[in-house]
Amino acid sequence: MADILFETKGVGKIYGTNTVLHDIDMKIHSGEVIGLIGENGAGKSTLMKLISGVEAPSMGEMFYMGKPYKATSIINANQQGIGMVFQEQSLVANLTIAQNIYLGREKKYSSAGIVNWGRMNRDARTALERMDLDVDPGKKVRDIDMATREMVEIAKVLDVVTEAAEGRAIILLDEPTTVFSDDEIQEMYKQIRKMKAAGNGIVFISHHLDEILEITDTIYVFKDGEETAVFPTKEADMNVLYEKMVGRSTTGEFYVEAKQTVPEKDVVLKVQDLSLFGAFNHVSFELHKGEVLALAGLDGSGNEDVCNVLVGQEAPTAGKILMNGKEVRFANSYQARKNGILSVPKDRRDEGMVSILSIEDNITISSWNHLKQGPLLSSKKLKAAAEKWIKEARIKCPGLKARISQLSGGNAQKVIFARALESGCQVLILNHPTRGVDIGAKQEIYRLIREMTEQGHAIIVLGDTLDECLGLASKVIVFRDGMVSGSFDCPVDGKPSQQEVVHFMM
Amino acid sequence: MTQKKKFSLSDYSQYMVVFSIILVFVIFTILNPKFISAYSLQNMMVEVSPLILLACGLSFIIYTGGIDLGAGAMVSATCVISGLYVTRFGNGIIPIMLLVGAVLGLLNGVIVTKLKIPSFIVTLCTQNLWAYIALTLCPNGSVAIDLQLRKTLKWMTAKAAGIPVIFFFALAAVVILFIFQQYTTSGRSIFAVGANIRAARLAGVDTDRAQIMAFVVSGSCSALSGAFYAYKQLSAVPTIGDALTLSAIASIALGGTSMAGGRGSVLRTAVGVVTITAITSGLNMMGVDPLWKDIIIGVILIAAVYLNSDTKGRDIIIK
Repeated sequence: MADILFETKGVGKIYGTNTVLHDIDMKIHSGEVIGLIGENGAGKSTLMKLISGVEAPSMGEMFYMGKPYKATSIINANQQGIGMVFQEQSLVANLTIAQNIYLGREKKYSSAGIVNWGRMNRDARTALERMDLDVDPGKKVRDIDMATREMVEIAKVLDVVTEAAEGRAIILLDEPTTVFSDDEIQEMYKQIRKMKAAGNGIVFISHHLDEILEITDTIYVFKDGEETAVFPTKEADMNVLYEKMVGRSTTGEFYVEAKQTVPEKDVVLKVQDLSLFGAFNHVSFELHKGEVLALAGLDGSGNEDVCNVLVGQEAPTAGKILMNGKEVRFANSYQARKNGILSVPKDRRDEGMVSILSIEDNITISSWNHLKQGPLLSSKKLKAAAEKWIKEARIKCPGLKARISQLSGGNAQKVIFARALESGCQVLILNHPTRGVDIGAKQEIYRLIREMTEQGHAIIVLGDTLDECLGLASKVIVFRDGMVSGSFDCPVDGKPSQQEVVHFMM
Repeated sequence: MTQKKKFSLSDYSQYMVVFSIILVFVIFTILNPKFISAYSLQNMMVEVSPLILLACGLSFIIYTGGIDLGAGAMVSATCVISGLYVTRFGNGIIPIMLLVGAVLGLLNGVIVTKLKIPSFIVTLCTQNLWAYIALTLCPNGSVAIDLQLRKTLKWMTAKAAGIPVIFFFALAAVVILFIFQQYTTSGRSIFAVGANIRAARLAGVDTDRAQIMAFVVSGSCSALSGAFYAYKQLSAVPTIGDALTLSAIASIALGGTSMAGGRGSVLRTAVGVVTITAITSGLNMMGVDPLWKDIIIGVILIAAVYLNSDTKGRDIIIK
């Protein structure tokens, strides 16, 4: 093959004590399209951030055109010839297409502080034509549709890197096709082939494996922050990709499966034909007492939106929610809690921890109603409740009155679990309960989940990985593009394999 | 968490109010030994009482992370209403004012929570309504309360065991507010809202109710404070509250309550009020031009917020 344009050797990233990316070796050749696949949180986006200059690697080296490469910022990376199209669009809606393309590079068009817009628009037209885009560069971005915006964004990055390193640039595309229709995807392929023919190196991330098989030359598979497989695309098919992506399964012991309860007959929560416009459609399921129900799916598949609706964060556009056979509607999470649904939120720092309050307050915050003596709160009962949970959940803390923000991630999460358990809510929604906690705390949390079901709680869990979903749940419902695409019973002795389930996710 | 023990003013900011009250009393006593005479202390007790009510009530809005810029104007309005209508209702004006204040606070609270508008905007606007009430009812400045009626109002500033009755009221209010803050669901929820409203909401706290409650409590306290000023001055004074918002917020900040919300205590606020009042009356006794008063309080407010500030030292980690 052609020359190596870009290379990483043993690159990794550590946040605090958490290694999110480890020992990545990747070679990008001139005229090569690399496909990068893996589950959510496998480290794909982290690697892109390291290459595009958003963050600095914690270990390893990178080389660009044979020389050591270091980027201090996105702009710095752009100037060297490496550009990234981000998952979330980064165009400024109030500016014109041309202004967006040359954002931060206006100097070229200005003399004595006056910008020559005419010349900028002419150049922008050239940049757009390079991508076969026929739009007026003077149009404001907010007036063009999402798919065109995405193409403009790519045109912008292509223009920046071409200016810096024509024919030797690196273009990183992080899920560029999410807003595209089939025709637009074909157009996208065409453009990628053009960039490739010009000699550039491209990295393409997508959850749609058919796209990966169609457009890439080499496939890298990431799992849990590690590179688990590299192979030429022509040697792969769907089944190979599924198999490589899910990798090894952890043992049942890890998820304390011995304590998995068989759900009882009583239906606690029933969801009927629930829809939220733009997020999910016609979702129905039943949740039984003592059951752990996992809602599996990729980011944006609708599973999280279902949870948001169940805790009153958003109002459904259609359908019914029944608690113990009675229809309920929540305007906010307070009403949800009153009716027996409480969540352990995904973003622990911003949504879980009531930061500057004490550990005691954080444990008891959802239970003040039943920790009273007469009309007033009882210090004794508050303290007793907090002490009980610190012991039971093995929370390591300097004291009841210490601020929750002083705790490590795992211990803080256990405090929030204690809050959910103390609340006495029948239905607990655990949204990524083990995100960012170390392996020891993970085990403790799994143990707490088992305890919850033993006490008769019904649990909905959104796992961090598919492995976690299958390990914890007695039933898994799979979401794809806002619809339920499959559902699996997961008794202890007959859990489906990840390969079987992953088919329904993508 | 690994933290180096480094000397930082912020570490001591929680004791700030204790330091400053001692410092203020020591300095003024040295400068003027009469400063701690029985007469002067009795005077000060009458002086601090309405401000304690105002500042302690306002504290709850600050706990939520909000602010009430119209607290002073509300005192003016309620002072005027009390002064003018006490002739009709006699001492019954006190419970009536509590109710009036609750309604005015409710108005603020409902606008803040239901229309989701920041409290500083809402109160910046509603304060003009309070000022309007005060000035239309008393267009020609203060109106003295009828001489005959004054006798029935005297008891408020009279002394029991050497302590003015009004001060007992203030103490009782502090105790009640402390119980509310510490031992009621609403009180605790108010702190939770200020600490992290998003997390509090997801934990199933009725955050709207907590915020409205803070405004209602503050409104009642402001109104009672207005009534007290009417009793104290024996007149309806439409400009009484002009400088009080500043004094109240300065007292709260000096007490170590975070302006970002989530922590603080009415006990500390009360001590802050005493400190601020001691400073102003000390300066008075020394014959300092009263025009300087608000400037000095302003400087104290800035210094206190700086020392409490969440933007430096350990607090940056915490909030």
